[in-house]
Amino acid sequence: MWRRYGDAIYTLVTFAVFGFETIALGVLSISFLLGRTSGIASTPVEGVLLATLTSTASALALLGFFLLGYHFTSSLRDRWHVEQLDVWTERWIGLALEDTPAEQIADSPMPRRLPRAAVDAVLSLLEVVKGDEGDRLKAVLARHGVDRLLLRHLRSGHLTARLDAIESLGKARLPQAFDALLSLLEHPKPVVRRMAVRAAAGTLATMTPEPGPEGPGGRFTQALKGASLQSGVAQESLLLLETRAGAVLRDLLAEPDLGDRLRWVVLETTGRLGLADMAGEVASSTTHPDPELRAAAFRALHRLGSVPEDAQASLLDALKDEVDFVRVQASHAAAFLPAEVALPALEPGLGDDSWWVRRAAAAAMARLGDDGVATVRRAAETHPDQAAREMAVQILLEAGALDPAAARLVKGVA
Amino acid sequence: METLRPKDARILVVDDERVNVVLLERILEQDGYTNVRSTTKSEQAVALYDEFEPDLILLDLHMPGLDGFAVMERLEDRIASDTFLPILILTADIRPEVKRRALSAGAKDFVTKPFDRTEVLLRIQNLLETRFLHLRLRPELASEGQAT
Repeated sequence: MWRRYGDAIYTLVTFAVFGFETIALGVLSISFLLGRTSGIASTPVEGVLLATLTSTASALALLGFFLLGYHFTSSLRDRWHVEQLDVWTERWIGLALEDTPAEQIADSPMPRRLPRAAVDAVLSLLEVVKGDEGDRLKAVLARHGVDRLLLRHLRSGHLTARLDAIESLGKARLPQAFDALLSLLEHPKPVVRRMAVRAAAGTLATMTPEPGPEGPGGRFTQALKGASLQSGVAQESLLLLETRAGAVLRDLLAEPDLGDRLRWVVLETTGRLGLADMAGEVASSTTHPDPELRAAAFRALHRLGSVPEDAQASLLDALKDEVDFVRVQASHAAAFLPAEVALPALEPGLGDDSWWVRRAAAAAMARLGDDGVATVRRAAETHPDQAAREMAVQILLEAGALDPAAARLVKGVA
Repeated sequence: METLRPKDARILVVDDERVNVVLLERILEQDGYTNVRSTTKSEQAVALYDEFEPDLILLDLHMPGLDGFAVMERLEDRIASDTFLPILILTADIRPEVKRRALSAGAKDFVTKPFDRTEVLLRIQNLLETRFLHLRLRPELASEGQAT
């Protein structure tokens, strides 16, 4: 982007130049027309032509000078901005790292209205540091009214100003902006909802926990539940909650009327974050009528590395599910059942029509200790289905339980 | 000659954001670390490593050009297998798989931005203590190796 400053001047000059040229060319065209119809002598036409050319050249020269001047001043301004950023960064770091309570920061001499570089510097630092140092920097923003200004911009009619404000509040993570950001989750524009939920999640991650539906976590849960967000956006926002994610995910899973798409996101995120203490909540979705959700629940249990006792029956049922990707995920999760329960239930999976199910079943069995490896080895040698034998051999090789020379001797595998 | 006092440790900071580099330098200085070098150009990280021989590297993951993973990959050949050189990752990327990938690529610890100063300093201190314990044990391990 070559034009960063002086939008108004640029627009005005461009308008003036092209307006001037349009008028001149219009006069020329009309003169030609009149010349044809009323026999105007060529000399005045030439005069108009010359004037037009001269004016065009002057206008282009003016535009050229403006562009050159613009680039020159822009680079000067950029350099100055970077210098100012450095100056303010040093100043804010000094302030953030000193052992002064946030309330006493008001005593330090500062301009009443912070320049742009000062605000940019403090926001950049708030992206990096939290805790006492972050609180001191937030106090600076509050003292100079930057928080109020950003909140006002959140209601701006200009989308750019609004998005800038959301981005800045996302960096600043100001608790006083939390509810305003949540209210934007109902905004008709997806980009606003997306940026707002990220900013709100980041803010919640730094807020003091308050249990209950009226607390910030509860308000976030309700706003997320009602928001129309893409799955990836919702998942990202849940990851941004950091240590607060568990409480919000638990609240969301407890919602009886949680939408299927959000439930899928919650199950995925719980698994990705490895929140093992939530296996019980995850298990409740293993019997969901939607196969995508059943599969997500088993995938999450696999990632959590645990299958609660009351989910064992549904897992064993799922190994015979009519949908193959549910059988795949259930097979993976079965690696966390007791071997004596899992092995007989997984063995039929070796002969499944789906290559993925065969692979998942064999891999899960190989993870079930010596008994599991012995069962896979037996399948490699004696299973009536060649596809099952091949898969068993492959898994044993990958697990290091079979050397390649021995694999060649296994019947049915060349 | 190896440095054995944690506060004398050589610390290399690699982060493309100047603000982050300055902040980390100040935090380390304030905590008494006197031997800190930094760069905002990840391409210089390997050369700086060769020249400075750091005891600890603070590394950002997402950088233009060479990212943190590529830097770790290039450093891998230079770090002897019997050396414990801690790499502490500082990143805003909160995805668990990124954390796993970084740790398996050679990082020893992981701090998410925005970070808490106390937490970062504690992690740095722990990593350096481990580094120096390892350095102290090295001659013994070497003589044991020769004996066997």
